[in-house]
Amino acid sequence: MILRRKDRNSIQISDSELVVLAKKDVKYFGQLYNKYFDRIFYFTFKRIGGNEDAAGDLTQQTFLKALANIGKYEDRGLPFSSWLYKIAQNEINAFFKSGSKTIVVDIEERNVQDLCDEGNIEGISSIEDQEKLIELLNGMKSEELDLIELRFFQGMSFKEIADIYAITEANAKMRVYRILERLNKKWKELK
Amino acid sequence: MRKFRINRENNVGPTEEQIARQKDFSRLHHEYERLTKRNKKPIYRDPKLYLLFVLIAIILMLILLSEKN
Repeated sequence: MILRRKDRNSIQISDSELVVLAKKDVKYFGQLYNKYFDRIFYFTFKRIGGNEDAAGDLTQQTFLKALANIGKYEDRGLPFSSWLYKIAQNEINAFFKSGSKTIVVDIEERNVQDLCDEGNIEGISSIEDQEKLIELLNGMKSEELDLIELRFFQGMSFKEIADIYAITEANAKMRVYRILERLNKKWKELK
Repeated sequence: MRKFRINRENNVGPTEEQIARQKDFSRLHHEYERLTKRNKKPIYRDPKLYLLFVLIAIILMLILLSEKN
């Protein structure tokens, strides 16, 4: 096992090394948990509309599933975090399906601006325009919203999205731009 | 189902305190142990399994007795 010495007092172990160790001893999974909990919790929290307890439960469930299936995990050169995001994504989708009530997900104004810039959506000059655009967005398919959310509201790169969906970066880009095109078309029709 | 809404006032992400409150590896470890540890209840404390073993023993005894006769 190759261990990299970060400084005199601490030894940094890579994720793939930690996974190998965690397959033999659960306590090593704790290091992966401590490293990625904040990111997965942040991801879940934002996606389910800021419900702390539900986000906490879903994040725990994500790590529990990861721990239970760590033996099956294969290192295919993708970051370990993308596997965790994938599990979290499935947990969130199951959470949305299980509940009958609509969950309101808060997004920031700058996220809408990023979406408009990247999608070449023009004519969003007022708060009312932004609200209309969000209304159009809310009418789109759940799978389409997932991608929009990852890209613009979670601020993920195409590479990160591609890793979660196990597709190529170009494919992730193409999927997002097609959705943006559809949204832009709807926006022009509305205008 | 989800619906997006623009929040123009507050930060939409969790706070450090919220993250710290939910981060608990010992809870995860405990849940994992509960899920994976096999039932350690002894056979004699499981009435159904105990009865099954008694039945098997009786059948074996009867077979042995009939062979002797």
